[in-house]
Amino acid sequence: MTNKKSDCQDPLEVIGRAKGYSRKELIMNLPRHSKFAFNLIQQVEKIPEEFLRNSGSPMAKKFIRIMREISLESYRAMQFTRTEINNRGVLYGVVSLKHRVMDRVLHYFHGRWPQCVICLYNEYNGQTGIINEKGTIRELKLPLKEVVEKMSENRPDITYFEDIKFSGEKLFKTLYNSQNIIERENPRYFKKMIPDYCYKLPGMKNGVEKRNKSRNKKLNEFL
Amino acid sequence: MPSTLEKIRILGENSKYDICASTASSRTKKYPNLFGNSINRVGATATAGICHSYTPDGRCMSLFKALYTNKCIYSCKYCFIHSCKQRISFTPEEYARTFMKLYSMNVVEGIFITSGICRSADDTTEDLLDVVRLLRFKYHFQGYIHFKCLPGASQHLLKEAITLSDRISVNTEASNKEYLAEIAEQKDFENDIIMRQRWLKQIRVKHNVEILKIMKDMKQDNQLEFQEKMIKDKRQDGYKKFRWDGAPILNSGQTTQFVVGAAENETDWDLLKRIDWQYKEVDLRRAYFSSFIPIKGSPLANKKAESMERENRLYQTDWLLRIYHYKLNEIKDILTEEGNLPQGDPKIHFAQHNFRDHGLTDPNQASYKELIRVPGIGPISAKRIINLRAQKFEFKSREDLKSIGVVLKRADPYLKINGRNQTTLLNFCN
Repeated sequence: MTNKKSDCQDPLEVIGRAKGYSRKELIMNLPRHSKFAFNLIQQVEKIPEEFLRNSGSPMAKKFIRIMREISLESYRAMQFTRTEINNRGVLYGVVSLKHRVMDRVLHYFHGRWPQCVICLYNEYNGQTGIINEKGTIRELKLPLKEVVEKMSENRPDITYFEDIKFSGEKLFKTLYNSQNIIERENPRYFKKMIPDYCYKLPGMKNGVEKRNKSRNKKLNEFL
Repeated sequence: MPSTLEKIRILGENSKYDICASTASSRTKKYPNLFGNSINRVGATATAGICHSYTPDGRCMSLFKALYTNKCIYSCKYCFIHSCKQRISFTPEEYARTFMKLYSMNVVEGIFITSGICRSADDTTEDLLDVVRLLRFKYHFQGYIHFKCLPGASQHLLKEAITLSDRISVNTEASNKEYLAEIAEQKDFENDIIMRQRWLKQIRVKHNVEILKIMKDMKQDNQLEFQEKMIKDKRQDGYKKFRWDGAPILNSGQTTQFVVGAAENETDWDLLKRIDWQYKEVDLRRAYFSSFIPIKGSPLANKKAESMERENRLYQTDWLLRIYHYKLNEIKDILTEEGNLPQGDPKIHFAQHNFRDHGLTDPNQASYKELIRVPGIGPISAKRIINLRAQKFEFKSREDLKSIGVVLKRADPYLKINGRNQTTLLNFCN
């Protein structure tokens, strides 16, 4: 889902609060939303592109809101999905994706680890998305542990970071705590930047986990 | 012997005040094999960096930032060194491996390699280069590396650092040699710091222009001529014309950091003059400002901490210079008698000063330069106004401006639309 300015001046380029999305972008990406209904596409095809791309119109505002929900979810998954890599070059993690953005998240990890097989278990629908070295994506309705074992078969043994004896989580927690400058604490800004579900975790202010309990699960509880 | 975890705890804490770090991408999509052509490559920098966590002060924590060693031959008065009970070091392998482990967990986007100076600047720089070589050639890491140039490091080491890193920074700390001598008397302002910044610029530009020439001869691609222009071209005021110039090496350029409030009597004007000079002379990409915080046990332990507001005002003014193309002399008009920026948003102060003499701005007639002088109108809204006018659109009311992103709350006092402007209390006074 891109909103790039083309090299030539786009005659339909909106001068507006938000650029809006072209018909092509909307048709490609609206189906990703969990509450997508086909009549949305019919509306997109009916409405002139000038109105579609101008967020001043009520319909375009609705489309932009839908597109933002989709992009926010995939961005959050890229930001906050914590992964592990086993000795067979399989990188795995857990996501919670309501919308159909698994492919975008898989491509992100594939760009960073092109020689690995990436497996992401979606807690929301119980499916595991897989992307291989060639970039081929598929989804299996299997638990993460099974998928990781299956993908690890027939792959060479490459030991990653064997001499780091303690858990990665401990490593990150230590690093994270070391970076805090108490004199610069800004709880309001902090709350604005982190996802809502993190702020409601135990230990945070007002911290009693109210949402889906599986948010608190550690990665190895899925294996 | 402390464990790796203990080293991260101590050396991470020691590095936290160095805020010269961001999630900048290095835009190397054009040159994907910049650091080798291995099929085992890891990491990418083609898209802008993603922030994987936020500290309680709201700062994005996207880079692995821990000193390589906290042993240092200098004893700068503002530095944490004075409060260090334990002097420890990583080894290059340990440092690189720890980072790769964190990278595999998707908790960091890149690495910020920095250090105290143990034995000599060259010795420590060699160790840091060992880390970079391990990352690039053993782990095939193609992602973001920010390399801290140590004051006094030799040119040949910097050359190698430039070819292997995405961004390099040299901390200036103070605006001139007198103020630096006050807070870090062992450092030579001209030779240790400014000279290194000049070298970085020269090496980068020379290398990139040579590489582009070779590629031009091979490919005969007009794009490369344009890219050469991007690397060299300057604006009228002497700043680089293109911030992101798509250079083959050190695409994210060089940055620097100042400690604000450590030196007595150092004013905002002194700092702004220095950064203006650096933008013009050494192609600085951007400056960072770190408010002075007294460290227990240091010679400045009893000095009052500098306010965050001052740091914020400097950032706002830096933005006006870099993005809004304000001139330094224009900023001088709004300074207080002491030479500091006044309380509040510098752009509003400037607008109050400017519009007093030049009258209100009519969005149907003003140029781009005049539009971005209005608080509440930034480069994007200004371009939108210009584009709409090109399509014969006329702004008849405030709502027209609101719909294109203008913040009317801030812009209203300085606008005149269709002959009408905001009514103030003064209109009712005799």
